[in-house]
Amino acid sequence: MADAATRHTRHKRVGRPSAVWALPGALFFVFFAVAPMILVGALAFTDWDGIGTPRWTGLSNWTRLWDDPDTHQAIRLSLVLTALTWLVQTPLALLLGVWAAGRQRNRAVLSAIFFLPLLGSSVALALVWKSLLDPNFGLIADIGPTLGFADGDLLGSSTGAFGAVLFVTAWQFIPLHTLLYQGGARAVPRSLYDAAAIDGAGTVRQFFAITLPQLRNTIVTSSVLMVVGALTFFDTVLILTKGGPGTDTTIMPYLMYKNGFQAFDLGYAAAVATILVVVATTVSLLLVRLTGFTAMRSTREGM
Amino acid sequence: MRIPRSRSSLRATGLAAAAALVVGGTLSGCGSSGPGGSGKGDISVWVYQDPSTKVQRQVVERFNKTSKVKVKLTQVPGDGYSDKLRTSMGTPNAPDVFFNWGGGSISEFVEKDMLLDLGPAMKKDPSLRKGFIPSILDAGGINGKRYGIPMRGMQPVILFYNKDVFKKAGAQPPKSWNDIIKLIGTFKGKGITPFVVAGTDPWTELMWVEYLVDRYGGAGVFKKIQSEGKDAWDDPAVLKTARTIKDLVDRRAFGKNYKSVNYTADGASTYFAKGKAAMHLMGSWEYANQKANQPAFAKSGLGWTTFPAVPGGTGDPKNVVGNPTNYWSISGKLKGEKQRAAIDFVKFAAKQDYAKALIANGDVPTTSDASALLNGHENPAYAKFQYDMVRDAPDFTLSWDQALPAKYTPPLHTNVQKLFNGQLSPTAFVDALKGM
Amino acid sequence: MTDTLHRHPTDGVHTPKRTPAAAHPRPRRRGLPRANYPAGLGSLLWLGIVGLPLYVLVAATFQTRNGYIDDGPLALPDHPTFANYRRVLNSGFLHYLLNTALVTAVCAALVIVLSVTVGYSVVRTRSRGSRRVFQIFLLGLAIPSQAVIIPIYLVITKLHLYDTLLAVILPTAAFSLPVSVLILVGTMRDIDEELYESMALDGASPTRVLLQLVVPLSRSGISTVGVMSALHAWNGFLFPLILTQSKSNRLLTLGLYDYVGEFRVDTPALLTAVVLSIVPIFLVYLFARRQLINGLMGMGGK
Repeated sequence: MADAATRHTRHKRVGRPSAVWALPGALFFVFFAVAPMILVGALAFTDWDGIGTPRWTGLSNWTRLWDDPDTHQAIRLSLVLTALTWLVQTPLALLLGVWAAGRQRNRAVLSAIFFLPLLGSSVALALVWKSLLDPNFGLIADIGPTLGFADGDLLGSSTGAFGAVLFVTAWQFIPLHTLLYQGGARAVPRSLYDAAAIDGAGTVRQFFAITLPQLRNTIVTSSVLMVVGALTFFDTVLILTKGGPGTDTTIMPYLMYKNGFQAFDLGYAAAVATILVVVATTVSLLLVRLTGFTAMRSTREGM
Repeated sequence: MRIPRSRSSLRATGLAAAAALVVGGTLSGCGSSGPGGSGKGDISVWVYQDPSTKVQRQVVERFNKTSKVKVKLTQVPGDGYSDKLRTSMGTPNAPDVFFNWGGGSISEFVEKDMLLDLGPAMKKDPSLRKGFIPSILDAGGINGKRYGIPMRGMQPVILFYNKDVFKKAGAQPPKSWNDIIKLIGTFKGKGITPFVVAGTDPWTELMWVEYLVDRYGGAGVFKKIQSEGKDAWDDPAVLKTARTIKDLVDRRAFGKNYKSVNYTADGASTYFAKGKAAMHLMGSWEYANQKANQPAFAKSGLGWTTFPAVPGGTGDPKNVVGNPTNYWSISGKLKGEKQRAAIDFVKFAAKQDYAKALIANGDVPTTSDASALLNGHENPAYAKFQYDMVRDAPDFTLSWDQALPAKYTPPLHTNVQKLFNGQLSPTAFVDALKGM
Repeated sequence: MTDTLHRHPTDGVHTPKRTPAAAHPRPRRRGLPRANYPAGLGSLLWLGIVGLPLYVLVAATFQTRNGYIDDGPLALPDHPTFANYRRVLNSGFLHYLLNTALVTAVCAALVIVLSVTVGYSVVRTRSRGSRRVFQIFLLGLAIPSQAVIIPIYLVITKLHLYDTLLAVILPTAAFSLPVSVLILVGTMRDIDEELYESMALDGASPTRVLLQLVVPLSRSGISTVGVMSALHAWNGFLFPLILTQSKSNRLLTLGLYDYVGEFRVDTPALLTAVVLSIVPIFLVYLFARRQLINGLMGMGGK
């Protein structure tokens, strides 16, 4: 009969996987994601046209990037689009999600319909909207003038095109975030609402005092997904506006594609890509740090 | 607490992992198989996809009937053809034979020795050399060496007009720039867009720039730009062109919604055929396009004329811009039997049957005996017009976005688009071009 | 989240303190309290925004090309036809569908296997190594896949994998890993320590613990990961766009994009292709709605 102390130490080791278990996944990820990320940074210091081998050119891409108004515009557009995406999608998804969390029958039916845009790929949905927004043969040809776009030229105006990208991506992704909020709202214990009702709190008050705080973790998750997603909208821009009119919807991923796979200036495109990575990582880290997500505090403290 | 038994999940996981490995293995095999890119012993041929590719499809079918080495034809959708080609040229999956425009569209490949010099093949088979209009054959070469065999009709840019719309307005096709200005007023008054242009496909807007620069300063302006670049854009013809375009835009010559009209999904052509626009400046393939989509219009409603001279211009009004033709180029990686088959294929495609097939499609071939065949065209007047236009042109300037190397194409397109959109003033436009 | 794993001791068990002298019964509230009219109006408005394009999409598939051009997208077809469906199905659609299904299945399988093993190690291995691994994956959350397309193009061509389905599978799976690992770590952390200890008492090896305890209890997390990576692979576009080229290796999204150049003015045909591309996911939605939705909801985490 083993001594109790030895049995205890044996328990600590028996049944625990060694770190080797993480190796396959980690190696795979490093090879296909981390290493390329480092490589992109390295390629940014080269000149490469896709046919030959990359040629070291030092800081020339970076000095060019520093002065290039197109790149400045792309960075600005990306940040504005991301901010507006959050401002448009989060309130709508929140409200819809909380609404959908209710157990009424009609809500379930409508929710099922609202979910449908999520089933299509970005390409599929962008193609639908591109057809609808054709100035001569689409829906916009008829209703354009009422919206203030003469002759249905919505995609030809800078604000119109930008708004179209914002709208189409919102149309596609609000269902996803609605689901997240719906899940989060359903998990809020009814006891909290009942207690508030006893205290005489009305619907609106309950929303702000109970629902929102309880959804804090969901809001952060949704926001991180939304922000990284908005920084990387590509399919929609490629199909809807091709970065136009001019360069007024050329956000960073599209600028990278244009420089890399249309002008075949892959070194410069790698520099743009590096900036994209830096911006995306910074914004995500900020978002997570500011909201204390890493602490992952439970929303059920004190219950 | 009961711990669930899950021997079945062990088996399931194991099976899933094994399946993934097996499938993954087969998938990597199910792709490239050497430089050929298609099955062993096949040669891969790439062509730009538009309604005219059926001629190439037919010739491939006929060739495969008699050749040991088969041809596998890939039609690449037009919008991304140049990009796709370029992307795959850097990989082992590069095509063996591919469609191109000569000039800048192949100059970088030639620089890296990736293409087969067709000089020897032409020496061995004079029919290849003598069979084509010399200037067109030359346009497929770089630095005096031959890299391309013509494989499509000639494609000058023509000013098309809608005969029905003109008849209803009681107007005549324009012969001078004054006529153009007058026509703009006439058609606007009738609520018809004078000129349709596809703002989302800036290469269509580029055609206007090419013709105007040529009319203002002659073909030498672009030749200088091609060889010297940068400050050569400062030529006064370019600035005058930009100002003229701004004038046209301000006059609403292109209508109000041209910025979001497309060409690659036939938006502009359909708008034109339906009588909503009076004129369309486009390459000669527009005829074949209309024939495929709006056959009644192509038959009786489509009219054509030349781009007029401009006041104060020194360029010869008989000059033409566009694509002399498209060429087959052969990859330098092919050796032995495959190389012979590739050369056989391009020779086969240069024979008279092919020229007849092009005519049947509505194109005008670039072979030296084409004029004799033109009466076989379903619209001999159009064919003759085109052929004479090209034959009599002192200069035929290749489309700029094909003449210049790939890295200038996106900025050139973007700047032209911005000029048409009013996002760049004429002087800013010239500066932007200089900065490319 | 209605996952039983996240059961909390007080869920469903509620004994409020009642004042002994409750004069009248408290008003019962069903569901979450919501204002009715604004919510109803808002949902109807959203229904219009979602419904109209869907109506146009479906109606156009039965429309003729000229009918669409002349009558506009809102008009119901005068002469409904199946010609569009025939045209799309004859243009290689089924082939693209099969390719995409294959890629999706392999991707999902790969992601599940890799993220389960990594998650297991992160949660159970008491070593700095596994903590480092978790940090790498957390950082990887913010790496956008577009940013690395250029070096991946380089790597894939050097590996001679250009224009193969594997060229799409490998990077797509790699980029689904961070979120998957995050989700599974969250799920696995919820497994009570006692369960591990009782298995350890039985002398179970790490493999047995994984397969008999962790995997069954992480079912919801695993299905979330599977759903997410499957959707991610099914709808991926940039990787197929750059890394594949030939028709035989084309995926559905790229096929749709190429149809624009092939169908040109035939918008009804294009929209038919769009509808057909949504059909498979729609079928999954119909038959596995609960799993799909719970899978997506589970992304919210705790």
